[in-house]
Amino acid sequence: MSIQLSIRQLKKRYKTGDGVSDISLDIRKGELITLLGPSGCGKTTVLRSIGGFLDPDAGDILIEGKSVLGSPPEKRPTSMVFQSYNLWPHMTVYDNLAFGLKIRKMSKPAIKQAISEVLELVRLPGMEKKYPGQLSGGQQQRVAVARSLLLKPAVLLLDEPFSALDAKLRHEMREELREIQADSGLTMVFVTHDQEEALSISDRIVVMNKGNIEQIASPQDIYDHPETLFVAQFIGKMNFVKGVADDRIRIGGLSFPNAQAHSGPVSIAIRPEDVILNDAEGQGIPGILKQIMVLGHYAEVSVELGDHGTIRGFQPREAVKSLQPGQKVTVHFAKVLTYSEG
Amino acid sequence: MSKKMKMGVLGLLLVTPSFLVLLVIVVLPIVLSFKESLKNKSGGYDLSNYEYLFTDKLMRSNIIFTLEVTVISCVLVLIISYALAAFMRFSQGMAVRWIKRLYMIPLFIPSVIATYGLIQLLGNHGWANRLLLAAHMGQLPRIIFDIKGIIIASLWFNIPFTTMLLGSALTAIPNSIVESAKDVGAGRLQIFFRFILPMTYKTLLVAVTFVFMGVIGSFTAPFLLGPNAPQMLGVSMEQVFSVFHEKEQAAALAFFTFLLCSGLGYFYIRSMIAEESVKNALLG
Repeated sequence: MSIQLSIRQLKKRYKTGDGVSDISLDIRKGELITLLGPSGCGKTTVLRSIGGFLDPDAGDILIEGKSVLGSPPEKRPTSMVFQSYNLWPHMTVYDNLAFGLKIRKMSKPAIKQAISEVLELVRLPGMEKKYPGQLSGGQQQRVAVARSLLLKPAVLLLDEPFSALDAKLRHEMREELREIQADSGLTMVFVTHDQEEALSISDRIVVMNKGNIEQIASPQDIYDHPETLFVAQFIGKMNFVKGVADDRIRIGGLSFPNAQAHSGPVSIAIRPEDVILNDAEGQGIPGILKQIMVLGHYAEVSVELGDHGTIRGFQPREAVKSLQPGQKVTVHFAKVLTYSEG
Repeated sequence: MSKKMKMGVLGLLLVTPSFLVLLVIVVLPIVLSFKESLKNKSGGYDLSNYEYLFTDKLMRSNIIFTLEVTVISCVLVLIISYALAAFMRFSQGMAVRWIKRLYMIPLFIPSVIATYGLIQLLGNHGWANRLLLAAHMGQLPRIIFDIKGIIIASLWFNIPFTTMLLGSALTAIPNSIVESAKDVGAGRLQIFFRFILPMTYKTLLVAVTFVFMGVIGSFTAPFLLGPNAPQMLGVSMEQVFSVFHEKEQAAALAFFTFLLCSGLGYFYIRSMIAEESVKNALLG
């Protein structure tokens, strides 16, 4: 698949010290890529640089092979969906949608037809005459997406578009966005700090931290094989314990293959679903069961492992029925991830 | 007494003092002035004083002169204030910082002092002319004791407050609105006429009302630096009342000035009500 958007060695520094340094990224045509990271990691800086709202200090941005650096936002083949919807409150939905098309000198009947089609696509037919103030948050965001879709941009930029919505609506909007993307085949760059959102909608995720890219991979790979300690800490729930690496990774009485040839002290990361709980006589690190929380179809248990601290694990609900807080158990791990310390 | 009734009585009690003040210092003088203005020389009541206002050559030119000064001042104040407010809102740098520090200063200088200051600066023998003469650069046109002087004074008195009003309206427009307009391809003029102006229109209307009322009823500056003829209505009113002792004519002039202001007030209130009713209809 051809490269639609290419970011090359992008640098931008603010007076506060934040910004991005040396960001390089290729995005394929029709791909939905998510820039994910904590506040201040530089994800919005990258997005705003693509959209032309920020001038980078160095580097280049190419869309369909052509550099767009120096072009103002209105001249770029991009469109942005903003966090706060940004519908124009003094215009009806129709006028909000038609404005960009009128600038492009589209005929009135064509505008009407295009608006009717796009409102069908975002499931808001017949809303043309409403004002933004009369719409719910979700409806406003759908109009904002529709406004961008109408312009048929080469790249659609989405800056935390669902962050102002409640959890249920956010979930629905994710699904809708994914459907719209599949129908339209648009290349999308999505910015969020919500890992669940990133994992659920992206073809690939770019995890950013302190202005740098930590990892670029599919959601599954990011979850299963976080390459850095930061990614392991940031994506999903994770337990961390200290261990030692020689020919094998050793923690308590357990040992695991040392695939990455670490040596010396290491941080060992274990997903809660990889925690195996055995009775006191079983194989594993001995500990005391501190708490059992039944969370619907599964239970979260926390076990104190002496010097190794407390570890949390997910267990089938049936498996914890016979357990009581305070009883002795042993803990084993189905899979561990290791990271060099320092 | 039910709670609703108690609240109603309390509301009436709260509104009564302000209503009484309004009645005594606004409504009553207007009614008395109107009554006074209808008195003719023989002690009867007719419209002769109003007839005089519109048939006397000097009075007619006073009315036209006042409207001229008011309209020109309103237009200039709005253009300059809007430009200043927009510059402060959308630009950064040293110039913006200095404008922000300085633009309110005229509000803190008493009007008499400021007017004499303008006379000292722009009068025939003022600093500006003396400097120009010293530099062999000719002379300023006549500004003081001319319409130009009153307009300059009106700008001095009205620009700071109007800029402050418009500045707060412009600050209320989020950057993201402008960015999203740019994003769909709008140029600078389109952003101004389609987004910024409609979103500050209401404040603009408030500003026009304030400036119009302020200038049309101004006295100090027109009295000190206006021409002898024609005169602004405020100055003329004072002369008719104190020099010519034509109390009834002065009352007619006052009532006519009040009507001019009421006209603008009516349009202001009507547009506010129209906007509210559109909002209610949309939300209802």
